[in-house]
Amino acid sequence: MKKYLFVEERFREVLKRWGYREVRTSTMDYFDIIRGGAGEGFTDSIFKVQDSDGRLLSLRGEVTTQIARMLASKAKDEGRLCYIANCIRYIEAKNLSLREYWQAGAELIGGERVASDAEAVALALEMLDSAGIPASVDLGSMSAIRELMDHFRIKDYRRVVKAISMKSVDELKKLTCDRHAIRAFSLLMSKRGKAEVVKMVSEEAGCLEGEWRYFRDLYCALDAYGYASRANVDLSTMRELEYYNGVVFELFLGGIGLPIGGGGRYDIMMEQFGLDSPATGFALSVDLCVRALSKSDNNGVGDDRVLRVFYEEGYMEKAVGLVRRLRSTGRACTLDKYKGEQAGLRVGERVVWIETGDEYEL
Amino acid sequence: MSSEAAEGNRLIIAVPNKGRMRDPTVKVLDGAGIRPLEGERVYFTKTTDPGVDLISVRAADIPVYVYYGIADLGVTGRDIVAETGLEVYELADLGFGRCDLVVAVRKDSGISDPAEIPHGSKVATEFPKVTTDYFNELGTQVETITLRGAVEIAPTLGLANAIVDISSTGTTLERNSLVAIGVVMSSSARLICNKISYKTKYDKIEALTERLKGLRS
Repeated sequence: MKKYLFVEERFREVLKRWGYREVRTSTMDYFDIIRGGAGEGFTDSIFKVQDSDGRLLSLRGEVTTQIARMLASKAKDEGRLCYIANCIRYIEAKNLSLREYWQAGAELIGGERVASDAEAVALALEMLDSAGIPASVDLGSMSAIRELMDHFRIKDYRRVVKAISMKSVDELKKLTCDRHAIRAFSLLMSKRGKAEVVKMVSEEAGCLEGEWRYFRDLYCALDAYGYASRANVDLSTMRELEYYNGVVFELFLGGIGLPIGGGGRYDIMMEQFGLDSPATGFALSVDLCVRALSKSDNNGVGDDRVLRVFYEEGYMEKAVGLVRRLRSTGRACTLDKYKGEQAGLRVGERVVWIETGDEYEL
Repeated sequence: MSSEAAEGNRLIIAVPNKGRMRDPTVKVLDGAGIRPLEGERVYFTKTTDPGVDLISVRAADIPVYVYYGIADLGVTGRDIVAETGLEVYELADLGFGRCDLVVAVRKDSGISDPAEIPHGSKVATEFPKVTTDYFNELGTQVETITLRGAVEIAPTLGLANAIVDISSTGTTLERNSLVAIGVVMSSSARLICNKISYKTKYDKIEALTERLKGLRS
């Protein structure tokens, strides 16, 4: 619990400094609204319950859709919102605790594309840095994949996504016989590096010029934030949620076998909710951040030892005065009647450390 | 060895500890200059490549070790990867261990196509996930019965109307009066990779993948 609080506090401090307002979303929503935003694949895995009038409700499985819906229903065009919330969904795992997990995220509504995407990536990295988690980020692009599919007239989006997310040339070959397409997609799946990777794929495929310019500009912006060296392009980077339509990114750390967060651009979902605002955002797994801290023996988590103070008969008021002063300086302490304890501070006529017998200077 | 061993710069490869995939895997790694320094009964061994260690585990569990990052890479069958449903990268087809996962029925059943298998049929298999996905895509509701081996005797004993099982030559099916009527998937040995290891150890993994692909061609 101590590490959870530490991570959350650090995240909140950074989010506040970057001007993001924290919101709380509801635990339950009407299922059809969430399905409209998050897409069929994801909504299969969220818990559903029935309301008294028969309508289907769902438990919160992720927060971005809720925030987009919230903004749409209130017709607000608020720029920067953040959250730290627990989410619940079916996950095929024996570890039940995985069904409930904590996410910290930020959504940036409106704004210019490159600047906003760079802000989202930089903010995510700074939040992790603040907790002592030196993560890196890989960038992909759902719009690049869509453009390549259109260019080579490949239709089955889901199967293409599956093939790319496995880096499986075999799966790809089931979808097209076009050798040029297979070469371009194979290059996309196997190359990882800076923005030049997009240029390489673009030259092989004969399209994606706009994507190459976008990634070049994104790198300039990330460089200004000081994070370009920790960002790589891997165009097979995918996110599970279907609402992303531009850049997507995944944050990771060596030694943790799963991504510790990710996000991307989701303008189309905003449109579905009737908002003509571009939007980008991300979520970090608080649970995996805590796991990363446990593995690194990070000692920045802070000293939360509680000083035990005891009063002898007739000295309670004197002891209350002492603990008030200690607490006002930030020291955590408890106050109880002395019953022969072997450690702590004992308040009588004198104030002494029980273990040593030394007198405490008031 | 720590859990989530894939820390640091060493590569850990999970290889089958027994079965038909074991020897060809050892051979292909040998070709790439990776030879275990200890015998096959040891589950963890250093190798002649100072940057590579091996863990020997059941072939069916290899995607699990790779998915959770205990191993960076693994060698196992494509059918096994599909059955676990875990998200790992398939970096290379290593070419050996070829087989088909087929739908088979009794010769005297009169069925010649998987689409003719009636709704409500019982299908015995060691691959329940792949089987269920396959029949769902076909639009046929079947009851999948999971067995741990000797699947081919299930129709004769009356446990199932059909089976989904591995067939490399077809002789086992023939011996049990079964006939293959459709291919669910073609499989061979794959080099699989943990998605985060791919990012954190990209250069080493890419170099090894190219070496292994080179041996194939």
